[in-house]
Amino acid sequence: MIIGEQKPLDEIKQMIADYQKVLILGCGTCVTVCFAGGEKEVGILASALRMATKLDGQNKEILEATVQRQCEYEYNEEVTDLVREADAVLSLACGIGVQTMNEQFPDKITLPGLNTSFLGQPTEQGVWDERCQACGNCILDKTAGICPIARCSKSLLNGPCGGSKDGKCEIDPEVDCAWQLIHDRLQALGRLDLLTEIQPARDWSTSRDGGPRKIVREDLRL
Amino acid sequence: MGYAKKLLDQIGLGGERLEMYFLSSAEGARFAEIATEMTERIRELGPNPLKNEGARI
Repeated sequence: MIIGEQKPLDEIKQMIADYQKVLILGCGTCVTVCFAGGEKEVGILASALRMATKLDGQNKEILEATVQRQCEYEYNEEVTDLVREADAVLSLACGIGVQTMNEQFPDKITLPGLNTSFLGQPTEQGVWDERCQACGNCILDKTAGICPIARCSKSLLNGPCGGSKDGKCEIDPEVDCAWQLIHDRLQALGRLDLLTEIQPARDWSTSRDGGPRKIVREDLRL
Repeated sequence: MGYAKKLLDQIGLGGERLEMYFLSSAEGARFAEIATEMTERIRELGPNPLKNEGARI
């Protein structure tokens, strides 16, 4: 899922300083599951902003709503009236939700209340780890289901670098060396032979190197 | 608790207005002690600046 983290309250206050009536708009999908921008977080932030702006003497009016999926127009249509009523929207969705809102309601600014952090997985209660960089050319079949692009600090494709020590990465002793994980799992699966296959130079044009990406499915178009 | 105290600090109300204590129902004397301690602390901090504003928070 997309993992996000709420921006500090001071930064949010500064962002909405010029607007009197602000709609805080949550999203019911990824950012709800990672406790950053769902209905509950919208409620907490709304209360915090009401109190903080009252103490500052600004006394802003804060509206609240959460849509099921802010990255799709259909769901955002439900809050059209609230968006019109507000001077600005503070989105607690990921960057995709923020941009969808700005495209859908071009005469109203939607501001980002979250930092969109990465594509990841909850690895324990309250901990999320990066798992995918959406490079557009998946090689998990060759690397024992462990992504070296997202999980190796250098995104190496040909094994560990000299900074791998006791299974950990040189950037931080808490960070696993992805290539150690890959090697160990392939060994456990009896598939170390996969590492001896010669791979052609990787085509990074499917990643960000090829510019903004787009998928068109003619079979699905209307 | 830590999160709520930090939030109160960021809001400007002050995290020191909030505290959590663990004690059993048999510790009446300790309860009174804590109540006194918190009363004194809040008295020092002064009244809630948002009190009687009349708006929904």
